Amino acid sequence: MAKNPQQRRSDPRRKKCPFCEGGAKYIDYKDYPTIKPYTDYFGSVRQRYYTGICLKHQKMLRTAIQRARFMGMLAYRK
Amino acid sequence: MISLQSTAATDTDLDDQETDVRLYECSVLYPFPLNQKEEKDIIDGVEEIFKEAGAREVAKDKWGRRGLAYPIKGHNEGAFIIYHLEIDPSKVKEINEALRISHGVLRHLMIKPPKGYQITKFSASYEKWLNERETVEEKRESEKEEELQRRVTEKARRQAKRVEKEQKDKPPVTKETTVEKDKLSEELEKLISDDELDL
Repeated sequence: MAKNPQQRRSDPRRKKCPFCEGGAKYIDYKDYPTIKPYTDYFGSVRQRYYTGICLKHQKMLRTAIQRARFMGMLAYRK
Repeated sequence: MISLQSTAATDTDLDDQETDVRLYECSVLYPFPLNQKEEKDIIDGVEEIFKEAGAREVAKDKWGRRGLAYPIKGHNEGAFIIYHLEIDPSKVKEINEALRISHGVLRHLMIKPPKGYQITKFSASYEKWLNERETVEEKRESEKEEELQRRVTEKARRQAKRVEKEQKDKPPVTKETTVEKDKLSEELEKLISDDELDL
């Protein structure tokens, strides 16, 4: 019997980079609403495995988050 | 030597049409709850620093009050100003140092925007997001409630079905039992009578 689709975990291979789909060339540290979901409860950067971001954009995101942290927009540590 | 000079010249040409001027982005953070005069003093001081270095202001984006993620020098709230400037790259160091020393500026960040960067103002989009976020949360809550209601109704339906099934199942069983009971009683009576006769 097939499992309930709500209970089934999504296939990590099927995830797509949300920035690639939008065609982002640069991730701005000032763009708080887009950056915020990629940090977890403790303020660290979410792993690529969970978000599905490509390596190129993950690196951009990392610098953006670091800059935002320095300017006090994001927390270093909860 | 000549070849080196020529390559350097072409490089600067590629970077910008005006020689030795480049676009920089500078964001300045200052504490929020301030008198108008103090605020003006800080902003004037910052702009004075830019003017001294011969910077040309391209765009200025003033963000209002923003909560800080962690306290900086005892302040829990701050205000940002984002400047886009055209500066001589050799003067950047001076500006950085001056901003670092200047009073009232909590943090500043000087950045070289990447190629093909379009200046966007995030102050408006942030407020829009703040407003939208509430609606999004409300939506999520309403969705949750709907889901709960759906589950409850489904459960109720299932229970009703089960009750119906039981009711359907029951009557034949009871009939059978009554029939069997009748038969049994008859046989028993017969047996009893026979037994009695035998005994």
